[in-house]
Amino acid sequence: MEKVLEVKELSKQYTKVLAADKVSFDIEKGEIFALIGPNGAGKTTTIRMISTLLKPTSGDAVVAGNSIVRDAAKVRECITYLPDEAGAYKNMTGKSYLRFMAGLFSTDIDTINRYVERAERICGLGDRLKDKIGTYSRGMIRKLLLARAVMTEPKLAILDEPTSGLDVLNAIEIRKMIKQLAAEEGMSFLLSSHNMLEIEFVSDRVGIISKGHLLVTGRADELKQRYSAQNLEEVFERVVNGNEIL
Amino acid sequence: MKFFNLLKKELGELITPQTIISLVAISAMLMLMGNLMKSTIKEAVENEYSITLSDRDDTEFTHKLAKALEASGAKLKTVDTTGDDYSAILKEADAEALVIIPEGFTEKLENGERPEIISVAGMKSAAAMSNVMNSNSGAIGLISDCISATFAEKAGLTTEQVELLQLPVDVTEQTVVKDKNAPVSTSSVMSSLMMKNMILPIIVFILIMFTSNMLMSAISNEKIDKTLETLLSAPVSRTAILGAKMLAAAIIALLNAVVYMFGFSSFMTGATDSVTEEMGTQLVTQYISVDEALERLGLTLGVTDYILIGAQLFLTIMICLSVSLMLGALVSDSKQSQTMMMPMMIMAMVPYLISMMADINTLPTAIKLIVYAIPFTHTFSAVNNLMFGNYTIFVGGLIYQFIVFAICMFFALRLFNSDKILTASLNFGQKSKFKKRADNE
Repeated sequence: MEKVLEVKELSKQYTKVLAADKVSFDIEKGEIFALIGPNGAGKTTTIRMISTLLKPTSGDAVVAGNSIVRDAAKVRECITYLPDEAGAYKNMTGKSYLRFMAGLFSTDIDTINRYVERAERICGLGDRLKDKIGTYSRGMIRKLLLARAVMTEPKLAILDEPTSGLDVLNAIEIRKMIKQLAAEEGMSFLLSSHNMLEIEFVSDRVGIISKGHLLVTGRADELKQRYSAQNLEEVFERVVNGNEIL
Repeated sequence: MKFFNLLKKELGELITPQTIISLVAISAMLMLMGNLMKSTIKEAVENEYSITLSDRDDTEFTHKLAKALEASGAKLKTVDTTGDDYSAILKEADAEALVIIPEGFTEKLENGERPEIISVAGMKSAAAMSNVMNSNSGAIGLISDCISATFAEKAGLTTEQVELLQLPVDVTEQTVVKDKNAPVSTSSVMSSLMMKNMILPIIVFILIMFTSNMLMSAISNEKIDKTLETLLSAPVSRTAILGAKMLAAAIIALLNAVVYMFGFSSFMTGATDSVTEEMGTQLVTQYISVDEALERLGLTLGVTDYILIGAQLFLTIMICLSVSLMLGALVSDSKQSQTMMMPMMIMAMVPYLISMMADINTLPTAIKLIVYAIPFTHTFSAVNNLMFGNYTIFVGGLIYQFIVFAICMFFALRLFNSDKILTASLNFGQKSKFKKRADNE
């Protein structure tokens, strides 16, 4: 199977804190991989390094054959990143925002139009796209941003807490959208969440991260079996506790 | 292409209906104020030559005095008044100011004593221009001249001798600037230069504040609204993102500068034109016009000077932009973005005020060095330095500004191309949200 992302011993040392310590995992084409862990576990730091926003202290990650350390510009062409609690420009209309973002990924008008049409279809906001983003609800903004993140058909879409702050219905809709894009278009996803139940539903494989260490990776059912747990929450609890005892 | 996309977005963020309305409103207000100044000054000048007189003495001599006042070109209005409730008298007379010749005035004069007149002037406000029109000084001067002439006539002096007594010496004033001189009073040169050079520092000040504020909010808003990470993870270089932001801020600043320049110049011409129109013939020296004198003293600016000033303005804006980039990158919430304006404000305010009040070159060395260390000082003193031929200081300032710009830009670019753009903040004693999150994970 073709690997879209290979993370090799990625570490990030802030002045006082080691936020990520030799984190390694892979993501295959069409796979949905989720990093799960409590707040402050190192999910966002790892994701930010893979998105080329932060420079790793050591280690590397290769996205579609491009190193985040040496070819950051090329990596940015293959990925899209949706940060946690991300906003959009309030004075722009939904459509002009999509057009602006598409214009950052391509200079070809036809391609830009194709991206925007795709995003319009995916976000399902209809005529509201003509309104200013300042008038949107949180759920609408999240849908718009998610459509923006997948409109360019990236090899890897990185979504940090994709459903945070959304109501149940909107969250379900977004989870379905992610699964559909992976299954039908072979798009790969790197998600992060502290909502274990959501992750169990949406992801193919998970990685449990705590205090900067990636403790274990595997399929949800596999992990549940290995740790004799009912759900991912229990797996997480046992992995983290077991690790602390060690 | 991607750069233009970014630039278009930045301009769209900066040009909002609110900014356009405020720009139009401010320029309209300045023009209106200019017209107001014009009419106020005109009224003031007219009032100086209109005299309201109450002749309580009512003698042949006082009648002669009134006639003499009229003959001098003053618009004379006579009123009858009684008592010493001057407020009521002024109200009844419907005048801003009034001169009362009390009873016994002529008698005192005939006895060789110094007679008394009462000058009543209404005061409505403490504003400088508001009390010009209620001055009786013109009237009193004319009355004094008339009385002096009467005394002199009595003593058997001729008209020529009276004139000599009133103006005993002719002063030919010469002003020297370096090796040039012109027959003009220093005060006329000063007031003319002050009027002419007033606009540029104001424009520079506004430009500095505007540019800094715009760029700082353009960057800090991206952080506060959480759009920066998305933008930085897109396939476009950070330098292009910065460049678009800087260019957009510079374009809007320039647009503002032009609008303010028109607004201020119409405000200033409104004020200065009316002054020179009305009093010009007296203020300006009898030998040459002030403009001619300025030319002769070398106090005018040539094309090269304007180009140099332009270059310095450009550097000033670039320094503003580079410093604002750094300050904007350190902001993590909207309250901080207001606070961050303070250093820029102080850097602009100090040299602005000092250059208005004193010649920086004559300050004590230590203070001079501190003031000159503020890069904007050189912009505020540019016109002065060029006019008075201090080219060394001017060129030194230009080089210094370039060095400051290069250093600031270097650090701004480094900040933007490092992790610091997402993690740095200036929270004194309190961790920023960004850093806290990064530290935690």
